Amino acid sequence: MDITVVHHPFGVAEVTVSGRLNMVTAARMREAIEQAADANHPNVAVDLSQVVFLDSSGLGALVAGLKGVRASGGDLRLVRPAEQAKLVLELTNMGAVLKSFDSVGAAFPHA
Amino acid sequence: MPEIVRRSFRLHCPPDSVDTVQDLLATVWGHVPDLDAADLMASELAIVELAANVVEHANMGDPVEFALSIVVYGDRVEATLTDDGRVDHVDLQPRAMPGGDAERGRGIPIMQSLTDSVEHRRIDGYNHWTIVRARRAGGSRPRKAMPSISIAGVIDEMARQRALDDMGILDTPPEERFDRVTRLARQLFGVESAAINLIDGDRQWAKSVAGRAVVEMARDESMCTETIKKDEVFVVSDIAADSRYAHKAVPGLLNFYAGFPLYAPGGERIGAFCVYDSQPRHFSVREAEMLRDLASWVQQELTVSQELSRASEVQQGLLPHQLLSLPGWKTAGVCIPARAVGGDFYDWYPVGEGAALTLADAMGKGIAAAIIAATVRAVLRSAARFGDVAGAVDAASAALTVDLDNAGVFVTAFHARLDMDSGVLSYVDAGHGLAIVAHADGRSERLRSTAPPLGIDPDTEWTVQTAQLDPGDTLVVVSDGVLDLYDGTLGSLDNLVTLALLAQDPWEIIDAIRARARGTSADDVTMLIVRRDSD
Repeated sequence: MDITVVHHPFGVAEVTVSGRLNMVTAARMREAIEQAADANHPNVAVDLSQVVFLDSSGLGALVAGLKGVRASGGDLRLVRPAEQAKLVLELTNMGAVLKSFDSVGAAFPHA
Repeated sequence: MPEIVRRSFRLHCPPDSVDTVQDLLATVWGHVPDLDAADLMASELAIVELAANVVEHANMGDPVEFALSIVVYGDRVEATLTDDGRVDHVDLQPRAMPGGDAERGRGIPIMQSLTDSVEHRRIDGYNHWTIVRARRAGGSRPRKAMPSISIAGVIDEMARQRALDDMGILDTPPEERFDRVTRLARQLFGVESAAINLIDGDRQWAKSVAGRAVVEMARDESMCTETIKKDEVFVVSDIAADSRYAHKAVPGLLNFYAGFPLYAPGGERIGAFCVYDSQPRHFSVREAEMLRDLASWVQQELTVSQELSRASEVQQGLLPHQLLSLPGWKTAGVCIPARAVGGDFYDWYPVGEGAALTLADAMGKGIAAAIIAATVRAVLRSAARFGDVAGAVDAASAALTVDLDNAGVFVTAFHARLDMDSGVLSYVDAGHGLAIVAHADGRSERLRSTAPPLGIDPDTEWTVQTAQLDPGDTLVVVSDGVLDLYDGTLGSLDNLVTLALLAQDPWEIIDAIRARARGTSADDVTMLIVRRDSD
């Protein structure tokens, strides 16, 4: 799994994850989300377009990230989840909690 | 329903992880080109969730070992995960998906919603978890309770694999006692190849090959994997012409095959004794009988190996397993026989306000020496209850003389009593002479032997000698096999003194000797160490 972080000037940290997001890598992504969010970038957009596999551990880490970001007054939204990740979000009824968008701009339009 | 692919893997976590599981799954899906993408995705996710659950919970944080079997049929995918975890409590009641803010607890509901049956069986202390996913047919997927059809075979195969593993024969070097049977078979039947093949997981491995036979191949390509399905001689005269096995024919190597199963002690079919040839060939009833006879010869040799390895376990079990509880002292020991069993042993046990210590070396090697060593240990142990150190050796000598005489062997022994408070070591050295004290100040003292070995002269007067162990001093007693790890002379004892002075802990000395002895020792290597803590 690879993670890259881009801080956008409009208050959004974009975290792009690629590879497998499972028991082995979940903790690392969670840390990356925590570190990416700061006072100037309260919102986090997690790009899942290159995640080939997401399981319950990976999903749990996204929920943990969401809770942490919300506690600081921001939000966490997903960008372009790949086919398999979409299936997992649907199966677990998490689509309403972890909302997906087509781009970072669409995820946080008013930022 | 036709079976399309069957694979089994063994994993050790760590270093293996759910990533390893996914990598292995990729190799399975490669054999099922028509597997629907949704079925693939669902099966993979369900299997990873199952594996993650076992890795996380099965051994309460300790490393976990498990086996994973995947069987794909025309209408379904079945996976069985078998763990030797200590946890036997399992709740597979259908679970609701947790709410949106839960960080955990979705694994099992995900697994359940993607599969058509989830089963758990606990057999012989192993957990078998089986999931079944029905494959899509014509765009729709039948959803129904679908009990596993592969599980019985999977469990039998696991028992078979365990029996094979327990025999300790896999990947051992060639042995003449097996090789002469394969050589003979080749000549007797006038074939190009003969082999003793064992079916291990996904591979076939040969303990012995003669002629052009190959040592290792994939199980899928093996003929012996067919032989182990039944208790009879299995013959295919013309493999290429037989549609069931034609894919296993190898031009120029394998077109005729005859084999008979080989068994583990519990009756599991672990492999086969076989002959094969590049040319089709008739195999007469008489030849089949001869093959059976040769196979039973191999079977006897396998049984001998099995008994030896049991004997080895028993002998290791006779070594002291508990550390002595001697406040202010540390003890350590090791015994590495050159063969499965050997004539060396060491022993310690509490006596009064201290301990009795023994290291002995029965002449010879192998089983004969091991029987003598076990006898000497038992006699010394029971004699130690009566009288002092000389009395014990005297009683042991009296009891053993006739036996040793009859066997025509003798035994060298160092037997001592340590007084925990004063540090006085009283000892009798019966022809052993390989004990030294490395003093904390760098001096060393060899404890000389003044008496003959046990079994030489029944009238020996056993004189007790003493040595003083002060704080920081180390007593090292070895068998002559340890000297052979250096230059084989008594000068090697200096190396041991240096080791003893440098080591922080007696087990460091043992580890150093163990490392030196690895794979190279021609003689039994045995060592006993007692160190008095520094003030």
